Amino acid sequence: MTLLQAIDVKRFYGVFCALDGVSLSIGEGEHVSIIGPNGAGKTTLVNVLTGLIPPSTGSVSFKGHDVGRMGPLRLSRLGMARSFQLVNIFPLLNVRETIAVAAISNLGQGGRIFASLRANKSVWENVERVAHLFGFTAKLEQPAKSLSQGDKKLLDVASAFALKPEIILLDEPTSGVSTAEKAKIMQVLVEAAKHTGIKAIIQVEHDMDIVFGYSSRIIAVHNGRILADGTPEAIRAQADVMTTVVGRL
Amino acid sequence: MSLAETTAAPATRNMAKFAYAVPVIGFALIAVFPYIAGPHYTILMFSAMGFAIALFGLNLLFGFTGLLPFGHAMFLAIGAYTAAYLTAAKYMSLELILLTAAAAAIVIAIPVGLLCIRYIKIYFGMLTLAFSMLLYSFLFKFYKITGGDEGLRIKMPTPSLFDLSKHDTITILTGPLYYYVFGLMLVLALIMWRIVDSPFGLGLRAIRENEQKAKYLGVNVQRYRLVAFVVAGVYGALGGVIVAIPVGLADPSLAYWVQSGNLVFMLLLGGYTNFFGPVLGAVLFIFFQDQLMSYTEYWRLTFGVLLAVIVIFFPNGLMAVIDRRRWWST
Amino acid sequence: MLSSVNILVGGAFHAAVLFLVACGLQIVFGVQKIVNLACGSFYAIGAYFGITALALAFQMHVPVFGYIPVLVGSGLLLAAFLGPVVERVLRFIYHRDEHFQLLLTFAFVLMFEDIIRIIWGASPRQTENIYQVFGEFHLASGMTIPAYNLIVIAVAIALSLVLGWFLQRTRFGKIVRATAENAAMCEALCIDVSRVYMVVFTLGVALGTTGGALVVPATAASLDMGVELIVDAFAVVVIGGLGSMPGALVGALIVGFVRAAAISIYPEFEVLAIYVLVIAVLILRPRGLLGKAI
Repeated sequence: MTLLQAIDVKRFYGVFCALDGVSLSIGEGEHVSIIGPNGAGKTTLVNVLTGLIPPSTGSVSFKGHDVGRMGPLRLSRLGMARSFQLVNIFPLLNVRETIAVAAISNLGQGGRIFASLRANKSVWENVERVAHLFGFTAKLEQPAKSLSQGDKKLLDVASAFALKPEIILLDEPTSGVSTAEKAKIMQVLVEAAKHTGIKAIIQVEHDMDIVFGYSSRIIAVHNGRILADGTPEAIRAQADVMTTVVGRL
Repeated sequence: MSLAETTAAPATRNMAKFAYAVPVIGFALIAVFPYIAGPHYTILMFSAMGFAIALFGLNLLFGFTGLLPFGHAMFLAIGAYTAAYLTAAKYMSLELILLTAAAAAIVIAIPVGLLCIRYIKIYFGMLTLAFSMLLYSFLFKFYKITGGDEGLRIKMPTPSLFDLSKHDTITILTGPLYYYVFGLMLVLALIMWRIVDSPFGLGLRAIRENEQKAKYLGVNVQRYRLVAFVVAGVYGALGGVIVAIPVGLADPSLAYWVQSGNLVFMLLLGGYTNFFGPVLGAVLFIFFQDQLMSYTEYWRLTFGVLLAVIVIFFPNGLMAVIDRRRWWST
Repeated sequence: MLSSVNILVGGAFHAAVLFLVACGLQIVFGVQKIVNLACGSFYAIGAYFGITALALAFQMHVPVFGYIPVLVGSGLLLAAFLGPVVERVLRFIYHRDEHFQLLLTFAFVLMFEDIIRIIWGASPRQTENIYQVFGEFHLASGMTIPAYNLIVIAVAIALSLVLGWFLQRTRFGKIVRATAENAAMCEALCIDVSRVYMVVFTLGVALGTTGGALVVPATAASLDMGVELIVDAFAVVVIGGLGSMPGALVGALIVGFVRAAAISIYPEFEVLAIYVLVIAVLILRPRGLLGKAI
């Protein structure tokens, strides 16, 4: 079943064309990596797919709804979540509170203005479960701003997962993290996805080892267009893609 | 706050006990105040409680949601003038006045809030300032309706449980009405505690920390901000009723921008990271102002210097000096 | 007919002074990102100091055409002293949340009000009857325009041209503009950003104090004037757009004329009109007419 679909999306910034007719569709069970050199349009693509900016022409639909005008709030309700390339945290909230924000939205309890949060078992159970999945159990009380860089990114991802979305978009989740930690993060991600019932993962990624190690499908973007879209084996077989985007044969 | 401070368990625990003691002692002091201080100071404490109520609301907006209004005093004026109109029309019940003031605040805060919360930081501040000054000039100019710069008289309202007819004003203000207001303040404080401790309260803090991320995590930023604005407005109006009672007068200066500045000053003085901060700030400001005014006519200079010192060296207020934690951390 | 000319001249006069003060606000905001609530206080203190300076000039039998330089000079002198002092205090909170910056300038508002009280007392002060000394221009239809108004307008235009030349043509002006764009980059390029800030702030103060000084022959100096001016200056900046000099001009003209028109036509709504205008602009076009997008 198709979850996310982009049809002939173009995005201009003045005269500069960031996306030049991108079409793709992503369905259940896929773990898609979007790769491409810097300036290829990956971030713009992600921003358009997640409703942060509308396409200049073309459309993006999520579960049949047009995403362009939706905005992050309604998209999160529909079941789409994303993490960010640059660290995006709530500096003064601690780990459990950060995850709790998502858990509260997921449980639909945001409107509760007089109910005690401290006593809310369902929220904290959810929080603890997600925290455990991502290895934050020992760090629950730590303010987000005091976490290590890698942990901050992981927290961003964890809070997105706590929303229990159907589809999650991760923007370079392992960038800025040491190589040893990268594998650990990816393992955590895959495990967590299984446990939280996420149907599809889209990942913007630069590290080719991760791309080829974890994706079920690779979309290579170059100069605002899709250069190639297929399984890791298929991509590996295309020499021009390999040199342009991956940088080696 | 550094990692070192959070992991310094024993020191923090002791500090935590001490920190809880301060509000308890503080409230207790206020409770027995009429017995240890003369009528002049007790009436001052009466006003301070009114300001504390207004400050609970301001704290929700600034301390929690990260929006600093420069026109919050307009709600004080709304409360005071509501009391004036009702008592002039012979509706003396204090409960009715409080409820009507709250209703008036809601009616005004919703449209004003809808317009203002679309913007943040300076623009939010300036827009709220413009609205409060609009109210001020309206109150000032249309003297037929509002009494102009002379204001409108507020007669002593009666709370439902007490029969105050036999007493004079001073006895009322230092006796039954004082405790009524004290009770009201405690109840409103408790309600605010609940609001802050709720999922909604966490949402507000998330908005303050990172508006965009909050949206991505499903928080309806505009609606939350509007609710915070309206709640703050209601608290402001209730506070305005209380503050105006001892004065017996509702006048336009309540909506003037300097009054809004005073409110922010009080909040900063007491500390917006702590629950007791608003109370401490209100009491300190009112008493300090009173003492200062009797010593020198240049109290503004002193306040200016004091405010500068606070802003530069103690931005989290006095309660933060006493209790380094931010009290809302679960 | 008479009233329209009065409105035009009165409005232009008010706009000229407002423009000077608003430029001060804009330049400080543009470079340092601080909204200086104390600009009204500098205006007021400039006015009082101007009166003192003028009284001194009077005693020393300075000729009439020397009054304007005396006023402008007193404004600049005062700023040269106040600017660095206040800026030094503000420096403590440059890197803090802008709410605190605003509150610190508010603290200065309180302080300055009492400082004026201490030095000059609480009652309004006036100059000797200097306004009339400048004479009037007679128009064809038998109406007169006070010459002083025109002189002030001319001075304001001159000062703004000087300011514009300074910012666009001189090396230091370029440095100022660069700092406004990216202060961190400038520091990396070995520009003494602290000094730039000090100069810019003093410049902003100078525009305020000079505006106040120029006003005193026409108006009395009172304790209220600072507060009244902040209201107008804030309206100018919102309408014109925060951080924009041409915006300050447009805003000043609009506010000046709206004020003058309201006073003549419907005094009740004089102040209300300004606020309604401000609210309308903030709602319909929050960046102001010529400001950058928020």
